[in-house]
Amino acid sequence: MRTGVLWTAGLTVLNVALALLLAPLYEGLMRKLKAAIHSRIGPPVTQPYLDLFKLLGKEDLRTAGGVLYGAAPALTLGSVLLLALLVPMGARPPFAFAGDIVVLLYVAAISAVLLMLTAFGSGSPYASVGSSREMMMMLSVEPVMVVALVVGALKAGTLATGDIIVWQLEHGPTISMAIAGIAFFLALQAQAGKLPFDIPEADQEIMGGPLIEQSGPRLALFRWAMWSKQFVLAVLLVEVFLPWPGTGVFALDLLLTLVKAFVVLVVVALVDAVNPRLRIDQAMGYYLRVAFSSIAALAFAVIGM
Amino acid sequence: MSTASLLGLSAALLLAGALVSLALARRAKTSGWASVAFVGAAGVALWAVVVRTFSAGPDPEVTLLSLPAIGAGFVVSVDCLSAIFLAITGTIGFLTTLYSVEYMTSYRTDSVAKYYPMLQLLFAGIVGVVATTDFVFFLVFWEIMTFASFFLMTFERENRASQKAGLKYFVVNQAATFGMIAAALVLWTRSGSFRFSAMRDALGGLLATQPALAHLVLFLFFMGFATKAGILPMGDWLPDAYPAAPSGATAAFSGTMTKLGIYGILRVFLYFLPLSPATRSWGVVIALAGAASLFVGTLTALKQDDVKRLMSFHVIGQMGYMFLGIGFGLFFLASDPALAALGLLAGTFHMLNNCLYKSCLFLGAGAVAFRTGTRSLSALGGLRAFMPATAMYALIAALAIAGVPPLNGFASKWLMYATAILGGKAFPLFAVLGIVAMFISLVTLASFLKYLGSAFLGPPSPLTGVREVPASMLAPQAFLALACVAFGLVPAWPLGFVHRALTGLASGASLPSLESLLGGGAGLRVVSGVVGVAFWAPLPVAAALVLLGLVSYFLIQRAAGASVRDVPVWTCGEEAGPELSRYPASSFYLPFKRAFQGIYPSIHVRAPAFPAWLRRAFDLDAWFYLPVARAVEGGAKTVSRTHVGIPQVYLLWIVVGAIAVIGIVVAFLS
Repeated sequence: MRTGVLWTAGLTVLNVALALLLAPLYEGLMRKLKAAIHSRIGPPVTQPYLDLFKLLGKEDLRTAGGVLYGAAPALTLGSVLLLALLVPMGARPPFAFAGDIVVLLYVAAISAVLLMLTAFGSGSPYASVGSSREMMMMLSVEPVMVVALVVGALKAGTLATGDIIVWQLEHGPTISMAIAGIAFFLALQAQAGKLPFDIPEADQEIMGGPLIEQSGPRLALFRWAMWSKQFVLAVLLVEVFLPWPGTGVFALDLLLTLVKAFVVLVVVALVDAVNPRLRIDQAMGYYLRVAFSSIAALAFAVIGM
Repeated sequence: MSTASLLGLSAALLLAGALVSLALARRAKTSGWASVAFVGAAGVALWAVVVRTFSAGPDPEVTLLSLPAIGAGFVVSVDCLSAIFLAITGTIGFLTTLYSVEYMTSYRTDSVAKYYPMLQLLFAGIVGVVATTDFVFFLVFWEIMTFASFFLMTFERENRASQKAGLKYFVVNQAATFGMIAAALVLWTRSGSFRFSAMRDALGGLLATQPALAHLVLFLFFMGFATKAGILPMGDWLPDAYPAAPSGATAAFSGTMTKLGIYGILRVFLYFLPLSPATRSWGVVIALAGAASLFVGTLTALKQDDVKRLMSFHVIGQMGYMFLGIGFGLFFLASDPALAALGLLAGTFHMLNNCLYKSCLFLGAGAVAFRTGTRSLSALGGLRAFMPATAMYALIAALAIAGVPPLNGFASKWLMYATAILGGKAFPLFAVLGIVAMFISLVTLASFLKYLGSAFLGPPSPLTGVREVPASMLAPQAFLALACVAFGLVPAWPLGFVHRALTGLASGASLPSLESLLGGGAGLRVVSGVVGVAFWAPLPVAAALVLLGLVSYFLIQRAAGASVRDVPVWTCGEEAGPELSRYPASSFYLPFKRAFQGIYPSIHVRAPAFPAWLRRAFDLDAWFYLPVARAVEGGAKTVSRTHVGIPQVYLLWIVVGAIAVIGIVVAFLS
């Protein structure tokens, strides 16, 4: 385990850069895959970058004033980048000294809180409907993520993300962690805002929900934050629940993590491509069942399996 | 000055303030400012006690009055735990009184003579409760507090609902107090004294000889304090009674009076109850009571439309968090002092944090009601444009109560979750309770997003003439919001005081030092053995968030210098007024609310059924008034039939009458 100020600083920059610059590429690949399933050619993989680039130069139309409303998109992206500092990417999280899994879960929620506040502030009824749905999705999905990560903490006897991974590498796969990992993966689908759980945005029903009044650079930043969050959470999933083989060579571990995260996101894209959107009450019922099933992981963890 | 004389001074100031404000009650504002001066001066005296206690250690006990016949005495003693409550009372008391000066001008028909004296009596009662170590005088002050708060809750004389709610509060709390009296009497029969130390010895002896009776005593104490704290189901009075009082008083209740439930629980279970297996089992009971309360209370809050009622249910939920933390701590007290310390610190620190954001939220809700005249969320909207400062403080306090890092609510919740997860290995139930608490933390967020979204954000409501509240109402909110941020960024500082308060109690004396528990720095770092197992460093996280936000803003959002234009909300091309396009508070989270319907059964007390004949006998309308009235009416109608309004007919009557009179006269004369 390497420590030291320089190493931490380097890792900080690297994690932020990866979350910021690689996330649109993953999104582009997912779009390409979805197009292939639809028998389309689809946009080039660089399309998300081009979208962001174009949006940043567009006119910024605002329906509300205020400092917080103006800064909300930047803070949202900032909070997702902060999340990237708490997530291990090939090594221990650079901010391991500042936050454990509980902090990680709460920091992950900040971006959603800011998005909802912005949506309510924009004054559009569609945005309010979307925010209300977003909150209900959060209420259904977060418990699943909480249970999954708490199982890891219970098994390893520590809340530090890095140490849970070390424990995983030492002890190999266990039933409880496998169940927890599956639960976390199911939660990822909703966290990424993909079908069948893109209920808060639901373009055909409520026209983008919370984002309906966002345009130009503001929309770009919210989109970017979403893509980064989906990337960071996928990385968290593979790091915590599938850390093997754990070579100890940083560059190799990082590369493996990125490949594994890509595979995870490919599955997410596959589910997205072949499913219709659920109603909010169906989604809530689904995640309620997932949450209760993941309690089984907790039970297995308690008896040491 | 000694602790006792400083406390005497503050009590004298509060009582003098009560009299002066009563004398000046004709002029509401003058009376208010006089109260502010007296409460402020008393607050300074209380803070002097606090500083003295924490710097020089607790003063020895002073007996001001002795009643040897019953083994009672007015013993004044302030330890670090009491000092914390004195600090809260001094601060929150001053802020809420300051806030009330302008707020009370909104009452046109109710005199402030019923308000300021009672408010100061309430604070005096609280000071007495925490500063005495004799149960008789503890009860005297407890009752003063209950009476004063009862009169504050029933302040709105013409409001039937508030009168009923006040009565409910009074009855429920008196019942709980009688239970505590019974428990104290049981202990008194053993030791012959009402001194806390004697009661402690008596309870210890009782636990060894008659454990069932000892547990009954503990149960009665638990019920007494849990009722005051609003723990469900005993706390059912709270959501009715809190909104009934004027907002300044509600904030004072939630900031000071309710917290005495925590004071009592800590006193009983960390001082009265010697460290024993009973501590462990009561830890489970308290944790379960807390978990039930936070689950039901918070989910019920989500459904409320009345702002103050919504927040009152959150009081119940938040008290549940405190009970949960303290329960964790009591459970591990004998087996694992480090985890015990974490749990107790979490619960007690959460209490401190809750005083700050909860009072701030109640003051904000009061400010909204003060300017708009309504507490219904569905009737509000877009107030941010008119009340930007209130909106900002409400936002900070709402995020703090929801546990958004790096605010203070998160710091104490983080400690609680760390305890639950790290203790989950030894007692898996706690891990489940911790997960429930994390879920409920999200429900809290949902509930307060609804509050912010429907009251302050969104399209403006049809209310007109709304403007920002005066500075004397803003300053208390600003102070509390700032304190929320400060406690969130440097949690180690207030935790130091909380830790000293806990180790000052008999059973808490063996808790490990704060440095060995949480590291010595500004951040928190739970250490097990030699390795850190949980980390929360608010300063680096906050700094990184601000820095990354600034980078995102200047280097990405504004990088291309896109021009900004203000536009109206897009309503799909239809000419929809704000009234049509509003999303009312009642529509928020409907499917979710439906899923948790009926979790809080409202209790309908039916009127007692009397026998039918009795009801008829008392129904004077049916057999007395109505028949008489009908007879009179019928007679009048008969008479009026003769009045047809034609002059000739009246002439005819006169002629007929005259003939009849003449006829009678002639008949009698002859």
